[in-house]
Amino acid sequence: MSRCYLAWAKDERIREKGADGGFVTATLVSALETGFIDIALVVAKKSVYEGIPVLTSNPEVVKECAGSLHGAPINLTKYVVEYAAEKRIGLPTKPCDARGIIEQAKRRQVNLDNIFMIGLNCGGTLHPLRMREMAADFYGLDPDSVVKEEIKEGKIFLVSKEAGGKEKETAIKIDELEQKGYGRRDACKSCVTKIPTSSDLACGNWGVPKGEEKKTFVEVLTAKGEAILKNAIDSGYVCIEEAPGEGIEMRRKIEAGMQKLAESWKERIDEVNALSRSGRFDFYVDALKNCIHCGACKEVCPVCACEKEAKCLDMNDERDSYAISMYNVLRIFHLMDSCIHCGQCEDVCPVDIPLTLIQRRFSERMQRHLGYTPGMSVDEKPPLYETELRWNAESMMK
Amino acid sequence: MAEEEWEPKILAFCCNWCSYAGADAAGMERRQVPPTIRVIRVMCSGRIDPAFVLMGLLEGADAVLVTGCHIGDCHYVNANNKTRNRYEFLKEFVDELGLEPDRLWLRWISASEGALFADMVREVTEKIKKIGPSPLRRDWKK
Repeated sequence: MSRCYLAWAKDERIREKGADGGFVTATLVSALETGFIDIALVVAKKSVYEGIPVLTSNPEVVKECAGSLHGAPINLTKYVVEYAAEKRIGLPTKPCDARGIIEQAKRRQVNLDNIFMIGLNCGGTLHPLRMREMAADFYGLDPDSVVKEEIKEGKIFLVSKEAGGKEKETAIKIDELEQKGYGRRDACKSCVTKIPTSSDLACGNWGVPKGEEKKTFVEVLTAKGEAILKNAIDSGYVCIEEAPGEGIEMRRKIEAGMQKLAESWKERIDEVNALSRSGRFDFYVDALKNCIHCGACKEVCPVCACEKEAKCLDMNDERDSYAISMYNVLRIFHLMDSCIHCGQCEDVCPVDIPLTLIQRRFSERMQRHLGYTPGMSVDEKPPLYETELRWNAESMMK
Repeated sequence: MAEEEWEPKILAFCCNWCSYAGADAAGMERRQVPPTIRVIRVMCSGRIDPAFVLMGLLEGADAVLVTGCHIGDCHYVNANNKTRNRYEFLKEFVDELGLEPDRLWLRWISASEGALFADMVREVTEKIKKIGPSPLRRDWKK
């Protein structure tokens, strides 16, 4: 099924505003205008630090939302589940959005036939608070004066509006920032899913030949993806051409390079790895004892489909004197096979528990043991629910 | 007063049809079983939600045993397959949390295997005595 194209929007305004040729915006606009989808879910830019998810059937609103936004690490999964499970919906998806939606489909929360996922290659997002600190401490800017951000060629560009109305561009290497603990979120630094292979289309600027900027590299991954692309071409919103061979090769190389970097980050940010068994125990107890049981991590979790009758809420009692509360134990346990390492839980945690690290430590070893990667295919059931014998019946004897 | 020897507290989940009857058989055969074990009877080992095991550990049990019918002998078709799969999750969890892997056990014991049951309890008790109390245990009397 996989086929690669270079694509761009015919409308010059969309092409100019979009990050790389406006393909994603043009596709969503054409699908809305031709009635191919009922509704689109896009992220509206409030400032460089804030994006708001918008559900709309108005193509003009979609056009307004064109362009990338690295400072708003929102996961769109729960918005689809909550507001649009019954509608034909189109949305741009980062790899973690796509994986979250696939996990929800496995749990029968959404009907995947109605969801058109236009995947975006993703090098990572930035936490808005860290970004403000970064702008002040490293770039020497007033955080509120920043009007535009961009990540390209391994650097983070911040454009600020000076007193005279002039725009000033400052760039610092990502590596340099990340050595000091800034830059991308921990979850993104160590994420290896850079191309959303579980969505319908995968778009991005990796693999676009030099001198042909303002084009998007598009990989068609499913029949649904082909349908929405065909609709965009037929309605005259999008032009495509066959992707050159070296472009495909280049894209693959970029992906492999970023994955390698992510693997090295995994070890660098893992402070638990060096600890002994009892040190590990103390670390977990110490980190989780701050929990105030607000339930925010469960609320945003793109994998969790338990709603209000969840076991982790039900079996937790504030009066218990356990070293680690039942809520945390059960949440970690239930995500061992399904955590997609998106880091949403840490983003919303009011007491800053390092949940990205904790969930990753538990789930990654289990997923390796299972040989299972969540969020990649709807046909794979979550192994915790499986009734078939996965392991040798007697191998547990000590 | 002389210092009492520390006795581990071991929680055992036994399925109604096989391992509970196996524990019974151990008594009928007049086998010595260490008094460290607290048995909870469930209808099937597939009924044992991992949350029960985790709660047992959090409550301060020094070890948790999960026992059931042999694979293929389950009185509810294949429910102990689920037990087997969940055990693998629990094992990884307990290990990652920083508890000793010996604090979690899964054994298949049929109704006639009283000797096996007694041996198992003895083995677990010995091992746990070597490891010491669970770090999750809260001893309030001091």
